[in-house]
Amino acid sequence: MKFYLSLMAGLLYCAGWIKILLGYIRHKNKLKHLGQMTAILGFGLHTLILGLSMQKSGTFMGQNYFELLSWTILLLSLLIWIGKKLNFVFFLGTSMSFFFYTSGFLLSYKLKHSIAHQTINFWFSLHIFSLSLSLSLLALAFGSSLIYLYMEHKIKTKSKLPSFSREMPSLTTCDRLNHLAIVWGFPIFSFSLLSGFIWASLVWAKLFKWDLKEILALVIWSFFAYLFHQRLALGWKGKKIAKLTIFIFILFLVSFIGISYLKNLT
Amino acid sequence: MQKMNTDIILLGLNHKTAPVEVREKYALKDYPLGEISSHFSPQVLKEILILSTCNRVEFLGVGQKEKIIPGILRFWANICQGSEKELGNYVYIYQDLTAIKHVFKVASSLDSLVVGEPQILGQLKTAYRKALEAGTCKTILNRLMHKAFFTAKRVRTETQIASKAVSISYAAVKLAQKIFGNLSQASALLIGAGEMAELAALHLLHSGVKQIYIVNRTLSNAQELAKRFKGKAIPYSDLDKILIQADIVISSTGAPHTIITSKQVKAIIKKRKYQPMFFIDIAVPRDIDPDLNQLDNVFLYDIDDLQEIVEENMVSRQEEAKKAEAIIEEETIKFKEWLQKLELAPTIKELMQKGEALAQKEAEKTSKKLNLSPQEAKQLQVMAKALVKKLYANPISFLKKTQQSTSSLDYLDLFRKIFNLDENKHFYHKKNQ
Repeated sequence: MKFYLSLMAGLLYCAGWIKILLGYIRHKNKLKHLGQMTAILGFGLHTLILGLSMQKSGTFMGQNYFELLSWTILLLSLLIWIGKKLNFVFFLGTSMSFFFYTSGFLLSYKLKHSIAHQTINFWFSLHIFSLSLSLSLLALAFGSSLIYLYMEHKIKTKSKLPSFSREMPSLTTCDRLNHLAIVWGFPIFSFSLLSGFIWASLVWAKLFKWDLKEILALVIWSFFAYLFHQRLALGWKGKKIAKLTIFIFILFLVSFIGISYLKNLT
Repeated sequence: MQKMNTDIILLGLNHKTAPVEVREKYALKDYPLGEISSHFSPQVLKEILILSTCNRVEFLGVGQKEKIIPGILRFWANICQGSEKELGNYVYIYQDLTAIKHVFKVASSLDSLVVGEPQILGQLKTAYRKALEAGTCKTILNRLMHKAFFTAKRVRTETQIASKAVSISYAAVKLAQKIFGNLSQASALLIGAGEMAELAALHLLHSGVKQIYIVNRTLSNAQELAKRFKGKAIPYSDLDKILIQADIVISSTGAPHTIITSKQVKAIIKKRKYQPMFFIDIAVPRDIDPDLNQLDNVFLYDIDDLQEIVEENMVSRQEEAKKAEAIIEEETIKFKEWLQKLELAPTIKELMQKGEALAQKEAEKTSKKLNLSPQEAKQLQVMAKALVKKLYANPISFLKKTQQSTSSLDYLDLFRKIFNLDENKHFYHKKNQ
């Protein structure tokens, strides 16, 4: 039953994403709205799946972290879309959500929770949820940075702008989303690491185990802290920030998938 | 189309057929629509609309073409104190399908001097409103105008004919919007003067730019411009200070050397906390160091770059115009079909067919319920059809009588609406109005 529900949610995400994409390419607002509605329907179903999973096993993480990540990405996209009236955020959100949901679904046999359920307590739940929120913000910042770099390159080199670019947000709007995501994302990420260490000290009676995952988490945190500082204290904007955001997000993806894959192999 | 003297006639002149002095002479700014219709009997000229803009004057009429065409030419020449012979050299005349197609083309801005410019649709709507107020727009022109507006909307949404800037100043504004988005939070700085720079400033002002600063070597000139643009005049010596506040800089001085250097802007952008800056250099020789474009968050376009964008957009508009032609063709055919139905014989035929089909369906239903024999069922069908004929006899006879009156088309249209003869068409029409 859960498999079919998950498959249906995935199909709804896919259909929603394709419709929004076609809406942008063909400049059809109706298609975009239809896509948004489909994706919201998928989100509703996904929420139900996570709710059922929580009721059954006591954890809201679903099949794996990617599944939760795709849910929080769409949740944040919805909130930003409603609050800031930034239409393209929803497009970014559905693209990312679809990507992570599909990855999670396809890799579900590879990436399982490596933590036994009895060890999941309040701090671990907090750690995972805040981690997911901060990474969702980073994912949105990554998407907007990609658009920023593409548009910046086109304007800078005076190249012909493709027809779909008229649907793309301005450079300032992309940068604004990046700002929002970094300003909220970094404190949440820091909190997530802190709650993770507290949980580790409770379970293993040790704050830091020199585990590869922990080391990489600290490396990512340092880069994230640098990005946060340059953005807020020095007022960096635009290209440099966009490049740094992309680098940090890719670093996270590579380390996260790498570690999870290696753990499953051993 | 010709059976009921409902020829659609369009005659006019435009930028393609007449030079500006002729267009000026024969322009009809405050045209007396009531007066022109009083020159013709209601049987000859049933409906009329006049579109007069700086690039075209067009009369769109419905009635008997043999009498309308010379009559309008005479009236037009008289009112503009010209001659029919002179007018004849510049005027084009379209009838029926070609006239309909031309109206759709005009509304969709395919016949405009700048293809895709949006003003013409507004001008056509004003012309239609005036005709409605004067009572010279009835069944056919009403429908034709609504169809024209609908076609224009289709062309605008289904093609990209109007999505790209085709003037240098507007291209600059479009680029500024790609960088800053909504310009209501952006400030612009105008250095020097010149027609194109002023035009760009005007476009920026219309796009809602927050503040315009004007710098000129002669402060009084800056103050004069500031008055026009509701901006702020700044002495030339304060250029560096004001550059920190400016998001968009348009420069067009007559200086023989560059007045803004890359080194200068590098320091400024740091002070601006890397807020993007957009420089538009319209001056020849150039005012701004071209190396500026290498700096992060700084964008520089000169006159050649903008010209190139405009030329590319012009080519793209021509390509989109081909797609628009196909839409116009499609809508013309639909309008023609509607027009052909707006006659007595097809209307009566359609009504009877619809009524008989309904009678047959109901008779069959009743036969099944009552389990009638084939002979009885046949008799029931005959009775139902006879009932339809008798029921429709009076309305049809009334409709035939009205065909002698001047409002015959109105009656026909009303009749079709009462009996829902354009069922699908109506839904389509209403939906798209």
